[in-house]
Amino acid sequence: MTAYQARPVYIADAAVLNAAGEQLLDLHGHAPEAKPLPFDQRHQAHPVKVPRLPGDLFDRKIQRSVEAQGLRLLHCAARLAPALRALELPSERVALTAAIPEVDAPSPCWDAVEAIQREPDRLLPQLFANTPPLHALTLLNSTVMAYVAEALQCNGPMGAYCSQANAGVDALIEAVMQIAENKADAALVVSSSPNLTPALYLRDGDPASGPVRGEGAAALLLTAAPAPGARQMTVRVAGLARGYVADETRAEAVAAQVLAKVLKAERLAPSDVDMLLIAEHDELLAGLLGQPEKRRQSSQGITGDLGASSMLTDIAYALGSPGGGEACRPRYVLAMNRSKGGHFAAVLLATAEMRAEV
Amino acid sequence: MNGARVVITGLGAVTGFGFTWQRMWSEMLRGSHCIRPWQPDEVSDGSFPVGFAAPVDMALLPPHLDEHPAWRLPLEKRSRYGWVAASQAVADSGLDAADLREAAVLSASGAPHHMLDDMRLALAEEPGAGADWAYLMRRADRVHAGGSLRQASDRLARVIAGHFGCEGPVVNISSACAGAAQAIGNAFQMIRRGEVELALAGGADSVLNLDTMGSLYLLGAATSEQRFGADLCRPFDRHRSGLVAGEGGGFVVLERLDRALARGATPYAEVVGYGSSLDGYKVTAPDPQGRGAALAMQAALDDAGLDPQQVDLINAHGTSTPLNDVAETLAIKTVFARDEHYRRLAVSANKSQFGHLIAAAGAPEVIVTALSCREDRITPTVNLHEPDGDCDLDYCANQAVHRSVEVALSNSFGFGGLNTSLALRKYRRSR
Repeated sequence: MTAYQARPVYIADAAVLNAAGEQLLDLHGHAPEAKPLPFDQRHQAHPVKVPRLPGDLFDRKIQRSVEAQGLRLLHCAARLAPALRALELPSERVALTAAIPEVDAPSPCWDAVEAIQREPDRLLPQLFANTPPLHALTLLNSTVMAYVAEALQCNGPMGAYCSQANAGVDALIEAVMQIAENKADAALVVSSSPNLTPALYLRDGDPASGPVRGEGAAALLLTAAPAPGARQMTVRVAGLARGYVADETRAEAVAAQVLAKVLKAERLAPSDVDMLLIAEHDELLAGLLGQPEKRRQSSQGITGDLGASSMLTDIAYALGSPGGGEACRPRYVLAMNRSKGGHFAAVLLATAEMRAEV
Repeated sequence: MNGARVVITGLGAVTGFGFTWQRMWSEMLRGSHCIRPWQPDEVSDGSFPVGFAAPVDMALLPPHLDEHPAWRLPLEKRSRYGWVAASQAVADSGLDAADLREAAVLSASGAPHHMLDDMRLALAEEPGAGADWAYLMRRADRVHAGGSLRQASDRLARVIAGHFGCEGPVVNISSACAGAAQAIGNAFQMIRRGEVELALAGGADSVLNLDTMGSLYLLGAATSEQRFGADLCRPFDRHRSGLVAGEGGGFVVLERLDRALARGATPYAEVVGYGSSLDGYKVTAPDPQGRGAALAMQAALDDAGLDPQQVDLINAHGTSTPLNDVAETLAIKTVFARDEHYRRLAVSANKSQFGHLIAAAGAPEVIVTALSCREDRITPTVNLHEPDGDCDLDYCANQAVHRSVEVALSNSFGFGGLNTSLALRKYRRSR
């Protein structure tokens, strides 16, 4: 028996922000048109406007000093504050895990770069006169966790992950296990996509190819017990698995291992899964799962590839699935993804009645 | 908490002391430090206000590492150090390549290295126009291969996994100065939970560049003290004035005990607990009461099923910053209050000897802690001559200490109040 079977972990609430909108149902709406990137017209993408943070939770200085990707993450985290508050938990029983892309170059400190360019002989005076005092914290992606912890009063276990598209599942696994092992009673799992910057494209071998990217964020609130007053989604985390392959010839074997592992806890076969969330273009996963086309879905077509936020956005997509209310909700949902870097990750969700802790 | 027993069977460290853990350990026991004058590459007149650091000295590279592929691939220098450290740990463990297929790789990385020359490529000719990314993309062939525009921060973890053919989870950690400790803690959890049987865990970092050190100076974190020459990293001393950066990397091989014994490995130490917490206080300062630090240490003890009075040594975060050292001392006093056990603890701050390796800091510090458990020797906190009145524990000032170390904690606390503590125990075949 896995730890999360002995102490079940539920998804109590979710928040998203992406090109489709800010509601879970928006993920099932019409896909907005992708736009050419201003800095490279060869690429289409789904950018989003930088959100404004609620003034009652976050200091105004944060709005100015945090990168756009961090602001998206904070925006989603803030929307889970009421549900978290309703749990009335001691702050040290609230965990926080995060899937956070690095703060990409080019450096946001343009004033300094420009001043140095203008007067290269006055390198240090220009650097120090034109770099904001909190620049070090802006460069550090985990700074946003400190803001979330302070605003939402999370003093429990933490974990910060920056493993490309796999970071979401890394953060989710750590949060689930902290609750399952009774080190926390609730966990916020927060994530953001990287900003659409040149670095995102320059790191790819062939800058003209690759998926349509997007900007967005997603956050989940996990609990060990039903929350009074909180939206009860009655969705339980039923399986988690991950793996990696650098050698493409081993990809199918590793993907098969990950799939077998995620289904093992519930003793399922792939055909038992009612909804399958995989990227549209991933033929390897589609072939492995052997599922009818109609069961294969993904939020990626409507949001673009959200990198570190893609797994949590896919989970939110499953939670927001319309049609027929609770009774018609798929019993098992499997989300599986494969990063460009070689990671495989899988999450199995099960519809469940929330039950009180024993 | 029940689960598989997890032991450390391989060590690898690259620091200012050199490229092997053996050299680092022997120098530290002698009471040496490797902090020396330093300036960024772009500054030739000595005017950069942060004048000392603990850089890696390539002159110390042993001949057998000359041909390591890390020196040939386009990588950030921190990734080179990390890859070499990971290779050393694997060699030290005696594992075969075939053993590593199922291994997990967990690596911590810090903020990207934004190169000034790359940034300049984005400046259009028209003054005051700011960054022009389209202009940058047209000049993409001039972007440096080893800078942040080309190197994702999880590159090291993937390079190591690719090099050794690892197919377990490959995880890049980004929790600031707690990063490598989180990597080791998460790897320990993975093995104990049964997700994998073997993991390579640690981290690598270098902030020794103009952009990052300039930013740390402006933040008030890095010291520009001149009075003490190279002896300016003084954890718990009343004249401490800020962190002194080091660079390098460290990795450990973590392994399920039964598996290690089956292949004839001799563990250095056992990892028995991991705890983490968040200050939730202020992004720029630790909780002055050390609440988050205390929560992390208590969580590690609870996770290990240990009583505080069983602890002999704390490998402190000990940054030499005015706020951290007092807060950490208070946290230790809180956790070890019963019977004033804190008076019997040995506390040691490794950063006084190899500087602050930022995201990688926890890795060599866990290595030193493991060696203390194995050898019953504790490395000193050097440059501690006048203890701060609020820092009144036994910090093993200036001289290594011989004493029994059955159980030790290794603390790592990150910017923004991201805290970790790892509990290690002397390896014994039966508990």
